[in-house]
Amino acid sequence: MKSLFLLSFIWLTHTISFAQSTEADQLLGVWEPSNGKARVKIEKIGEKYYGKIVWLKEPIDPNTGQPKVDKNNPDASLRTVPLKGYRMLKDFKYLGGNQWDNGTIYDPENGSTYKCIIKMTDNNTLDIRGYIGVEALGRTDVWKRLNLKK
Amino acid sequence: MRFNILIGLTFISLLSYGQTDSLQQEEDFSMYENLNFADEGAKRFCTPKVFDLSPAKLISIGYDYQGPFSIDYGKWKDQNGNLVGDQSQGNFQGAGGLRIGANIPVISKTNMVLQAGINYARTAFYSNSSQSANPLDETLKKNGLSTAGLSTTLFKPFNEEHFMIVQASADLNGDYATKNITPAKYTRYSTAIIFGKKKHDRKMIGFGLSRTYRVGELNYIPVMLLNWTAPSRKWGVEMLAPARVNIRKTISPRNIILFGYELEGNSYHILHSQLSNGSVNLSNIELRRSELRIRATWEASLHQFMWMSLQLGYRYGYSFNLDQYTDGKEFFRGFTGDQPYLQENKMNGTWYAQLSINLVSP
Repeated sequence: MKSLFLLSFIWLTHTISFAQSTEADQLLGVWEPSNGKARVKIEKIGEKYYGKIVWLKEPIDPNTGQPKVDKNNPDASLRTVPLKGYRMLKDFKYLGGNQWDNGTIYDPENGSTYKCIIKMTDNNTLDIRGYIGVEALGRTDVWKRLNLKK
Repeated sequence: MRFNILIGLTFISLLSYGQTDSLQQEEDFSMYENLNFADEGAKRFCTPKVFDLSPAKLISIGYDYQGPFSIDYGKWKDQNGNLVGDQSQGNFQGAGGLRIGANIPVISKTNMVLQAGINYARTAFYSNSSQSANPLDETLKKNGLSTAGLSTTLFKPFNEEHFMIVQASADLNGDYATKNITPAKYTRYSTAIIFGKKKHDRKMIGFGLSRTYRVGELNYIPVMLLNWTAPSRKWGVEMLAPARVNIRKTISPRNIILFGYELEGNSYHILHSQLSNGSVNLSNIELRRSELRIRATWEASLHQFMWMSLQLGYRYGYSFNLDQYTDGKEFFRGFTGDQPYLQENKMNGTWYAQLSINLVSP
């Protein structure tokens, strides 16, 4: 009887954890920032969420004629890394309440990395707020979910 | 039996949980080309950003200093329109003061960006002479000039190309330092509305109308907005003419130089000069101050989001005249009005420098 109770408890714990994981995984998918210049695929690695650039409106650098690279990165050794495939969202953890925090967002336009919080306002919309130090000192961008064309 | 079922359920639960992990692997990016918004009603809107613009300042603390200069004070006009008193000159070793500003986005949505700001600018007039040429000279030396204000900017995109910008500010300007601040009824309001088009991420152009005090007194002036970056991304233009025009040289995204001008000005309520000056009644007086600043500006990142801005240039005195309200209310003279000034003055030009430390926006 005791072992049955214990196993029921373990099963219940994992079921709750799975339900929470499913809620957290709503973030997974392909998203488009408001400027429409890129598409970002959000994936889960371990318990954290990451977003990489999978599409660029203008994939070729007009100055070099080559695919765009992360030329503004403050780390000179990373300036030849292609932007397509670049992980610009990093280390987000699900807080509950449709919010993911403790992550960073990288802006390839100027090579800056900002603290970032993600709020899902509906199933297809994210408020992505990059900020400096405190949330009040920041800017929110609205991202929209993308699906395969039917 | 029940034990085996529970073990099975636990295993399935753990397996499903683990399956959400993804492995880093080579990917066919072409599969992301043919995508649609999941929300069929979603629309794309243009943003206020243009490639390589000088960074927007969230918080700015700086000091402005002007070199030695003089002011030629004209005669006063009495109530009958006659010129009275003598012409005189005030000499100053310099002028300067703190400039503090904050401009914070309060609403950032795809279809609307609203910013709110505060600003404070102080100009103390430094002079070795204890004698004053006239009441205006006296209050400049004693109290200096200050501006404190609130502002807001709305960026409203209509679609992927067209947008509207509305700016409004309310300033309390006067001959005060920390006390006897200009009464709220003398708040000066400025506003501008611009309709524009963002052709691509390197060009944004717009036209509109402003209600402004940049020429010192109330005026209504057409405005032109142009933010443009050359295809090479080495040069650009940042313009909100006629208020400011800058040619931008981008050394790197964290190091830029701007060459251009800014027209700065406002109307200052002169509260502390209610002194006797013969037959002239010195109440309800406004100083119409306007300066054209031709300068080079160096902006560079010191550390991450902390930037410095250093300006060096020439300050030309466009207007330093006094007006008097006959009925206590603001009036419009424009460029063609013939209302006489109470006193016509000339602030002579000098060099100036401005250094600020800024926290810039993401």
